[in-house]
Amino acid sequence: MKEKRREFLKNLGRIAGYGVLGGLFAGFGRSLWPNILYEPPKRVRLLDPKNLAEGMNYFPEQRLFVFKKGDEVWAISAVCQHLGCTVNFVPFGGKVKKKILGKEVEEEWEFHCPCHGSKYSQDGDIYEGPAPRGLPFHPLEIDPATGYLVVDLSKEVKKDWRLKLS
Amino acid sequence: MKEKLYQVWRALVWTFDPSDRTEAGKAITRNFWLHWFPPRMTKASLSWSYSLWLGTISASLFLILAVTGIILMFLYVPSVERAYQSIKDLEYAVSFGWILRNMHRWSAHMMVAAVFLHMVRVFYTGAYKNGMSHMARREINWLVGIILLLLTLLLSFSGYLLPWDQLAIWAVTVGTQIAKSVPIIGDEIYFVLAGGTNLDQNALIRFYTLHVIFLPVLTLILISYHMWRVRKDEGLAITEQFNIARKKGEAVQPEMVFSSPWAVRRIFLVFMGTLTWILFLSVFLDSPLEEPASLEWTPNPAKAPWYFLWLQELIAITTIRIGGITINGGFVGGVLIPGIITTLLAVWAFIDKSPAEATGVWFHKSRLVQNIVFTILALIIVGMIFFAMYFRGPYWEVYWPWAWPELPEII
Repeated sequence: MKEKRREFLKNLGRIAGYGVLGGLFAGFGRSLWPNILYEPPKRVRLLDPKNLAEGMNYFPEQRLFVFKKGDEVWAISAVCQHLGCTVNFVPFGGKVKKKILGKEVEEEWEFHCPCHGSKYSQDGDIYEGPAPRGLPFHPLEIDPATGYLVVDLSKEVKKDWRLKLS
Repeated sequence: MKEKLYQVWRALVWTFDPSDRTEAGKAITRNFWLHWFPPRMTKASLSWSYSLWLGTISASLFLILAVTGIILMFLYVPSVERAYQSIKDLEYAVSFGWILRNMHRWSAHMMVAAVFLHMVRVFYTGAYKNGMSHMARREINWLVGIILLLLTLLLSFSGYLLPWDQLAIWAVTVGTQIAKSVPIIGDEIYFVLAGGTNLDQNALIRFYTLHVIFLPVLTLILISYHMWRVRKDEGLAITEQFNIARKKGEAVQPEMVFSSPWAVRRIFLVFMGTLTWILFLSVFLDSPLEEPASLEWTPNPAKAPWYFLWLQELIAITTIRIGGITINGGFVGGVLIPGIITTLLAVWAFIDKSPAEATGVWFHKSRLVQNIVFTILALIIVGMIFFAMYFRGPYWEVYWPWAWPELPEII
């Protein structure tokens, strides 16, 4: 009986000891997962759409290409979907006929990644290199109060998405 | 003069005048600086041509790195606003800052090479085998060695991102994205490595802390254990050759020498040789520093340091597309394949069933096949490094080394 009690207490002490140590280190580890992030917002005001140039506009801080064709505007991310490098905008200086993914297409520009050679078509489709998916399109909107162009980098839209400027 | 030097030497390393071999042995074991040596060792294990002293070279480099690193800690500010400027100051404003940085950088590069070659030497000499010994567990030391190689690479990686220049930011971008490409847990690993969802101050301070405390201390502990194991394993594997000869009935008596001055002298020579080589490189070859870190544009091409180029080559070509399923090359070439190679290496010492005679000799004929396979694997890695270094140009496309076109305009 006495032995049993001694064993029991010993085990109790052991469990308590390991429990405290384990809990302590779990807590230490948890502290490394931030609860507050002081990061730039994902929804960003870009500029007055009047100042958009026809064709490509690059926003380096957002790593974003905004294209304007007539009254249509759309935004393609410059973040390579392979391992996060910034892709380069490669203009052809006019329309060029190319065969991409088995289809004849006419392109004015492409996106090429300097890090591992991923190549994206004019519409951000991956056609060569290691990237697992195409460049994402982000939604644009006109802020009703200021009339400025706003992008939401946390959201994605289909690649035929266009914002009509009136 | 010579006599005087000898007196100083004795005063430093001998605690008393030995009158016989036992006392001479005790003079070593009782000396604080020498107590981790055995009193005597076989002269064969001190051979230059057997071990090539690559382990001692690696340890010497680690020592140089520790000393220069601690001084650099006084001079470097781990903040995204000031890191780059503090490296510039090292180059142009701090007295002898350039040599500190050059020595630290060259030692790091050399340590990657030395640790790798040390592993190659141990493999070719079958030095992870136990021979006739019943006490030795040399395969454990092989495993520790593999971990030390990985730690050396992690130390290099966390080190070259500290200047927070373009090389740094794109290395840490690609490195953390590789972690992110791991299925299921990838996002969490990225989040805790970077300390957020993008690379900023949190990421820098995390890699800095890993680089200056966590990884070096872990490495030091493992190096100490590595050395301690060599003694518990009854010395270098070459000594097994005497046991094997004795087992065959040959009357061999290995020549024994006292650790001091025999081993001490050679260790000192190797250290001085290593230091001279590092000083030579550091005086004549300056460390590069690219433009300040900017996520807004990527250098074209953005190449990793030489020891990671084979991985860069791998992640660029291993994206798998089967039907509708795509597996990112970052995961296949950055995690899966290196993981398989490391696992194979780590377990190999436990499954190598070559005869005891193959312990501690270069290229024993019973290990011919595995030596060839190992060599081919090593040559593939070295070949990929050379290919990526000389044949990959802008947009990671293949060029002849002499035919690089003008760099395309970068927006």
